[in-house]
Amino acid sequence: MSSRKKALLKVIILGDSGVGKTSLMNQFVNKKFSNQYKATIGADFLTKEVIVDDRIVTMQIWDTAGQERFQSLGVAFYRGADCCVLVFDVTAPNTFKSLESWRDEFLIQASPRDPDNFPFVILGNKIDLDNRAVSAKRAQQWCQSKNDIPYFETSAKEAVNVELAFQTIARNALAQETEAELYNEFPDQIKLNANDNGRNRDGDNCAC
Amino acid sequence: MTNQASPVEEQEKLLDEALNVVKVQAFQMKRCLDKSKLMDALKHASTMLGELRTSLLSPKSYYELYMAITDELRHLELYLLEEFQKGRKVADLYELVQYAGNIVPRLYLLITVGLVYIKTNSNLRRDLLKDLVEMCRGVQHPLRGLFLRNYLLQCTRNVLPDTAEAQNENEGVVKDAIDFVLMNFAEMNKLWVRMQHQGHSRDKERRERERSELRILVGTNLVRLSQLESVTVEDYGRLVLPGILEQVVSCRDAIAQEYLMECIIQVFPDEFHLANLQPFLKSCAELQPGVNIKNIIIALIERLATYSQRNEGNINLSVVLEDGKEQEVQLFEVFSDQVAAITQSRTDMPPEDMLSLQLALLKLAQRCHPDKLNYVDRVLAHTDKICADIHQASGKTHLEHNTAVFKELMKILKLPADHYKNILTLIKLQNYAPLIRHLNHPGRIMIAVHLINDVLETDCLISTPEDDQPDQPTAEPDVEDFMEEQGLLARLIHHFKSESADRQYLILSAARKALQAGGAARIQHTFPPIVFHAYRLAHTYKQLKDADDMWEKKCQKIFQFCHQTITMLVKAELAELPLRLYLQGALAISEIGFANHETIAYEFLSQAFSLYEDEISDSKAQLAAITLIIATFEQINCFGAENAEPMRTQCALAASKLLKKPDQSRAVALCAHLFWKAPKDGKQWPLNDASRALDCLKKAARVAQQCMDGGVQAQLLAELLGRYALLRERGNACLTTTLIDAVIQKIREELANLDQSEEVEQITKHFHNTLQHLKNRMECPDPDGLGYEGLTLS
Repeated sequence: MSSRKKALLKVIILGDSGVGKTSLMNQFVNKKFSNQYKATIGADFLTKEVIVDDRIVTMQIWDTAGQERFQSLGVAFYRGADCCVLVFDVTAPNTFKSLESWRDEFLIQASPRDPDNFPFVILGNKIDLDNRAVSAKRAQQWCQSKNDIPYFETSAKEAVNVELAFQTIARNALAQETEAELYNEFPDQIKLNANDNGRNRDGDNCAC
Repeated sequence: MTNQASPVEEQEKLLDEALNVVKVQAFQMKRCLDKSKLMDALKHASTMLGELRTSLLSPKSYYELYMAITDELRHLELYLLEEFQKGRKVADLYELVQYAGNIVPRLYLLITVGLVYIKTNSNLRRDLLKDLVEMCRGVQHPLRGLFLRNYLLQCTRNVLPDTAEAQNENEGVVKDAIDFVLMNFAEMNKLWVRMQHQGHSRDKERRERERSELRILVGTNLVRLSQLESVTVEDYGRLVLPGILEQVVSCRDAIAQEYLMECIIQVFPDEFHLANLQPFLKSCAELQPGVNIKNIIIALIERLATYSQRNEGNINLSVVLEDGKEQEVQLFEVFSDQVAAITQSRTDMPPEDMLSLQLALLKLAQRCHPDKLNYVDRVLAHTDKICADIHQASGKTHLEHNTAVFKELMKILKLPADHYKNILTLIKLQNYAPLIRHLNHPGRIMIAVHLINDVLETDCLISTPEDDQPDQPTAEPDVEDFMEEQGLLARLIHHFKSESADRQYLILSAARKALQAGGAARIQHTFPPIVFHAYRLAHTYKQLKDADDMWEKKCQKIFQFCHQTITMLVKAELAELPLRLYLQGALAISEIGFANHETIAYEFLSQAFSLYEDEISDSKAQLAAITLIIATFEQINCFGAENAEPMRTQCALAASKLLKKPDQSRAVALCAHLFWKAPKDGKQWPLNDASRALDCLKKAARVAQQCMDGGVQAQLLAELLGRYALLRERGNACLTTTLIDAVIQKIREELANLDQSEEVEQITKHFHNTLQHLKNRMECPDPDGLGYEGLTLS
């Protein structure tokens, strides 16, 4: 595929309920913040065009529900992700501890080609609050231990580091995609004489 | 219509095959796009989308397929956008894609193209949105229809008009967006509800599971509504909420109702809920009988309680009265009323759910109205009534152990205890203690232990008998004779403390009164702390004697109280414990020295003695008891001859009647101290009787020599030598150096006959230490005491 084509990057935001996933996305895409809490159910994306190294890139940012019960259909949307953003709340140590399981869960469900080098980015959000409970050092140490994941301290409320973080996300995702394209040139061979083996796509005779 | 999804093992295969087709077609599509062959690309897209026509996949597999396909459609969308933006508008594309043969691919393509039109020409927005949401009616198969409409919802996310007033009416306003989503929501909900009524009834369980998986798609409509930023609280109350509630109530489907109500609570902000509590709660009462209303109300209460707490209770809440006026109300009041109305109207509600609702109200009261204890009390009163109704229905007097209602009541009881961490606050709640009665006995124990632990942990002191009163029935009769629990209770008693001595007395009386119902097994643990408390109290009165003229009377009363208390223990067929308590009492009495104390002390001591005589038969216990009695007597200095004489004679007699010779010897030797006490303040004890002290020691020596075992003999004699020395140094001249010398010689003889052993070595060491002491005293005699003139130590 030619590189003149616009790149489309799929980015998944994960993290515990209430850490500010939706707020971060809204701050990045719409430059808006609201203190009102609205739970996200299911998964939904917003798109935004960004420029990475003179190249126009469309980021498709998937905001997800932190509460498992709101993912009743499973997490099929992890598939084909180019970057995964893990968010925690610096005032809530539990959300930091969950990062590990979010990362593992993502790698299992998305099954990327090269799990060891799949790009993650960690965001420690809500640094505008006073009652900080996870130190930057502790978060950095964890990120280093996980193959040097980039770490940003953000405030969706005050727009601190949000732009910078998403720039990095886009850049790392793009690197991933370029690499992926090398492999993805041709699909599996097509069997012309494929016997449908009882497979009935139409299922029924309904016209729809 | 065959609507059967295939078994699980086949799902994977079917999905794989479909995904392969998608991969191939997507590849072809993108290649055509690269070559700008749009029509060919659309054809491949249509074939790819044809995979979504399947009826064989389960919702989860279908979702995966849907994700794979819509991911690919994004490439088509991007291509078209780029072309349109470059001005290379494809004529009639919107009409063109409608030639696709099957309706499912056709509508997906239509939505994709429609979106590109809207993005490139906002004038088309209002009409196209309306058109698309109408067109989707063409798919009435529930699964396919739900996903198609979900695609519509996803694609239009960024293009919904979100302004109150439009510059151009064709662009639409937020009202159009609300109508668009509400319509899509109503259609999706209908499809979703219809699933329930398709297929065999034997598949009901599977169908409900699948419906539950798909609910997220329906709920996304509500999310979309909540994302519209120009929707004000007024818009929400006027347009959004009534629209949703109408659909929810009228669909008459329990699964949909329960989920959607919860969804409303989750996705809309707190301010919106607060302003519309009444219509929301009113709709709750109209839901189907199968709906678990409890969960809905609890979710709302918890959400608003958290919000209120975050805002430190500063929330303005008003309700519209029947006459149309607004009135400010408390959050708790609104919920309390509505919960009452709902529990009344829904007669089928299980009692445990009613209790859960009370629990939620209780949390609300505690979190949002910390200053209003009466709210908490009101909830407890309601709970009491519910429990009474449960008893009436079941014909039992208590809630059965570990049933659902039991557990809920337990939570209700524990919540205030853990919240206030102060038993005194609990006691202020009039309806708290009565609630405990609804539990069965083990349940009462559980809560009692919990409460006592709280008291102990928080170090709270119970300082008035009034507080004490209601607490006792909760704690005491419930506690079985498990040592641990009794230990806790005993510790609790130590927390009954008051600043005022008089009140402390009342507390102790109240405590004893409550505790004495516990029976023998319990009072042996619970009475000792009361008695010790009382002794301490008597000492307090002595300290207060300048301030309180009545102190002597009060002390007498206290010791009477103790006497009664200990007698109760005796009646409970205990001996060793009351004996020790009597002795401790006698000591306390003699130390305090109020009027008439000699008689009372004698009474205590003689009670102890009769217990010794009548009740204690084990020889070890006897020795221990008589030793304690002798020691106590020795410490008491208040007796005149009249009382001392019989007592010490009795002790000596009892000592000489002990069963084992070594015991006899030791006890009799101890009795010597009853006839010769140390001088006090430089004065000899008037009742000292030198020769009888000597008699005791002589008798002890004689008994010692009757022992068969040489080692034991030597040991006893070595101990005796110490006593000789001690009493001589305390001024008893009858114990002459000649006598002492005789004991020394005797010990030497005995030791010489013994084989070496560890025991003998110890005795020898003991003996030599005593000799060393004598030597020291001979070298530098005590100026006040008798020396050892004439003693020869070789």
